Amino acid sequence: MDGAHVVVTGVTKRFPGVLALNEVSADFLPGECHALMGENGAGKSTLGKLLAGLYQPDVGKICLNGQICHFNGPLDAQKAGIGIVHQELLFCENMSVSENLSLGNIPTKFGQVSFSTMKKRALDWLELIGAKVNPDTLVGNLPIAQRQLVQIAGALGSGAKVLIFDEPTSSLGLEETHRLLEIISKLKSDGVTCIYVSHRLDEVFEICNRATVLRDGKLVGTVEIKATTKEQLVSMMIGREVTFEMSGNFTGSQSAPPLLEVNGFSSLGKFSNINLAIRPGEIVGLGGLIGSGRTEVLEALFGLDPAVKGTVKVHGKPVHVHTPVDGLKCRMALSSEDRKRNGLVLSMNCMENISMPILDRLSRFTIIQERKERSVSQKYFERMRVKAPRLTTPSAALSGGNQQKLVLAKWLGTDGEVFLIDEPTRGVDVGAKAEIHNLIRELAAEGKAVLVVSSELPELIAVSHRILILRLGKIAGEVPANLATEELLMKYMTGLAA
Amino acid sequence: MTPSPSSNEPKTPDSSPLQGAVDASVSATSPQSGQKRLNAILLKIFSQAEFNLVLIILVIFVVLTKFGGTHTDFSSGRTISNFFNAGSLFLVATNTAFFAIMAVGMNAVIVTAGIDLSVGSINCLAGVSTALVLQAMTNAHMTSPVQIVAIGIICSLGVGTLCGLANGLAVVLLDVHPFVITLGMLWILRGIAFILTKAQSINMPQSMINFVQAPLGFHGGLMPVPMLVTIVVAIGGWFYMSKTAMGRRIFAVGGNLEASRYSGIPVKRVIVGVYVLAGLTAGIAAFLSTGYYGAASSQDATGYELYVIAAAVVGGTSLLGGRGTVIGAVLGALVIELIRESITILHLDSNYQQIIVGVAIITAVVLDRAGDKMRHRRMVMAQARIKESAASSA
Repeated sequence: MDGAHVVVTGVTKRFPGVLALNEVSADFLPGECHALMGENGAGKSTLGKLLAGLYQPDVGKICLNGQICHFNGPLDAQKAGIGIVHQELLFCENMSVSENLSLGNIPTKFGQVSFSTMKKRALDWLELIGAKVNPDTLVGNLPIAQRQLVQIAGALGSGAKVLIFDEPTSSLGLEETHRLLEIISKLKSDGVTCIYVSHRLDEVFEICNRATVLRDGKLVGTVEIKATTKEQLVSMMIGREVTFEMSGNFTGSQSAPPLLEVNGFSSLGKFSNINLAIRPGEIVGLGGLIGSGRTEVLEALFGLDPAVKGTVKVHGKPVHVHTPVDGLKCRMALSSEDRKRNGLVLSMNCMENISMPILDRLSRFTIIQERKERSVSQKYFERMRVKAPRLTTPSAALSGGNQQKLVLAKWLGTDGEVFLIDEPTRGVDVGAKAEIHNLIRELAAEGKAVLVVSSELPELIAVSHRILILRLGKIAGEVPANLATEELLMKYMTGLAA
Repeated sequence: MTPSPSSNEPKTPDSSPLQGAVDASVSATSPQSGQKRLNAILLKIFSQAEFNLVLIILVIFVVLTKFGGTHTDFSSGRTISNFFNAGSLFLVATNTAFFAIMAVGMNAVIVTAGIDLSVGSINCLAGVSTALVLQAMTNAHMTSPVQIVAIGIICSLGVGTLCGLANGLAVVLLDVHPFVITLGMLWILRGIAFILTKAQSINMPQSMINFVQAPLGFHGGLMPVPMLVTIVVAIGGWFYMSKTAMGRRIFAVGGNLEASRYSGIPVKRVIVGVYVLAGLTAGIAAFLSTGYYGAASSQDATGYELYVIAAAVVGGTSLLGGRGTVIGAVLGALVIELIRESITILHLDSNYQQIIVGVAIITAVVLDRAGDKMRHRRMVMAQARIKESAASSA
């Protein structure tokens, strides 16, 4: 495997109404991992997609080993040796790993598909990166992390010299992220040109040699990672200094009766014997590796797991929550980890999304009172500082951070008291992250009980008053905010501390 | 980051994304300039999703009036258009009525990303069971016109509703795709109708025929009742879908079932509801058509489901759910009926009717989408202009 020297000079890309890239130049060396960084909308993914042939530049040129390239589509880029590992993974989920890897070039013998050749090819390619994936498994049955490995193997196997990773870790847990980063380091040492599109500073600092920062489609600069600091990079990305503010330890009344009390909460195969109590105004973080049962606990509390056992008390009164309708009645609010799948109806506008759970309250004789709907939604829309031209803007047009705020606005409208927030800032840029953290603190300050799940440890530490760690479905430890460090949490998560 | 592609351009009846651009352009203009305000109003009319359909209907009207030829009316001796005369127009309206009413229910089903293939059979079963009940009443000498009509309404609407309820419950409880459930019901219900009628055609009592065929002050054999009922059902359907909480929930469930469930919407109840609505509208259509034609048989309304689905689709209802309007569906029914009608009026070989209708449906949908794309582009341009002007003024 050898890499290629990629040079981008003065590329400009305009979409209707948006100047996505404005005369950006950069170069990517063989054997280096080069980060493309910037806030959402800065143009980093667009640049990645230009290199992969998914878009064509309006102005400017891309050179590969000194030769000017014109990619009319991803196939051209692939032929030239540029592969992309996508944010949204593209696979035929109903087919096996080996079939997917051979989709573009199905081996035949006497006109029939040669499954043995296909399988051998898949094994060879997976071996390139040392991935242990059974080539006969249906891709639909693989976890996301392994699908990514398959994608990388496919790109390398078909001769890629340049690999673009477009936010590869946005849906991976810590362990999987680690494994992926190891593989990228190995590729790097093999001489492959790696381009890493991400806004996760820790990862960039771990594996990247240089970083190119974009802001509003313009080049801010390219820096050597060794010669810079996280703070500097962040200020390059957003043009100002931002550090996560800390919530600190809970300062409310320690003796106040808990708003939410959970005892002996168990669901077979997901989690067992969870006990927790959250006082009004308190933010409790729930950490753990992927598969430790974090999301499952939140969903069960909201009534999405009918098989759950144990007692749940809200304001000291036992409640039985078997459906989300019950959850809503008990004034629980679940902001789920996948806002596009479970949070918003993207075909509806902001107002309609906010009013969705409270239509009964907003209507008289089942007729929606438009004025009331507008004023109530407006209130929470503004309260959560959703940035959109107007209340009736289609929710699909909002950025990830604003969609997340819209989900919170929706639940604020229900008079929720127990906020269950799963991955509050997934795919949200740094500036919006801090804002969402503040909104969560404001919710708590109003006397709500908040339970937050996050895969990002710095976020978990910053936003929570205390942190519970789940490991294999059980609570493995509890850490107050002032003592929480990433190392300590990691130890609990992996079972090194007890 | 990526520009919003037109494919996931969100659409609900009262929140067309164009609305945004239009509002913005209105607020961007100064209130004094009447010309600009007029332009804004015109833009608003053009930007309605149904505008393309109205345009298509007008074109067909003009073509049929111009090329349909004329004949001499033998009572008055005047030359009148073969198409553009009261009799023909009423006939078109009446033939449209039965499809259009069912299209209102079908629209709701398709908005939830479901489908109901059994509406033709529901229509048939509601019709024959009403005919049988009324026949029994007549035999028992209960012939008061009010009683006959009241029982007729209750029976046809009731049977339609019950069939719809059966569909909805089966879809929800058996957790099988509605295509399969309603495909099965298509045969089951027609089979029940066949057995009930013993394959005979059953005449309707005269008082029911008189009710549906009532001239209501019109002369010359014109019968406005089916048309009027259609208008009432369309307005009712429009109100239900865009103004009530249940209607909004239908769009939510069709737009994203999971997000609706996570938002505490009783998803199953909503789904059962739309099939009940489809059944109810099939029952209304059955009452009108059996009264209008004066008899019911187990062969009634065969294949209607396809016309009704076509009407909704031509009317802009997305088979993927979350998008569609009642008015669009009704206009879609009118387009299809006009195309059928034009074969007679333009003296085309009626053997080609099916081919022409098929081609026309596809063409209408393609044209509609093309119009959508054009309007979307205009909207993007308008937004860009607004942004630029805001930036330059800042």
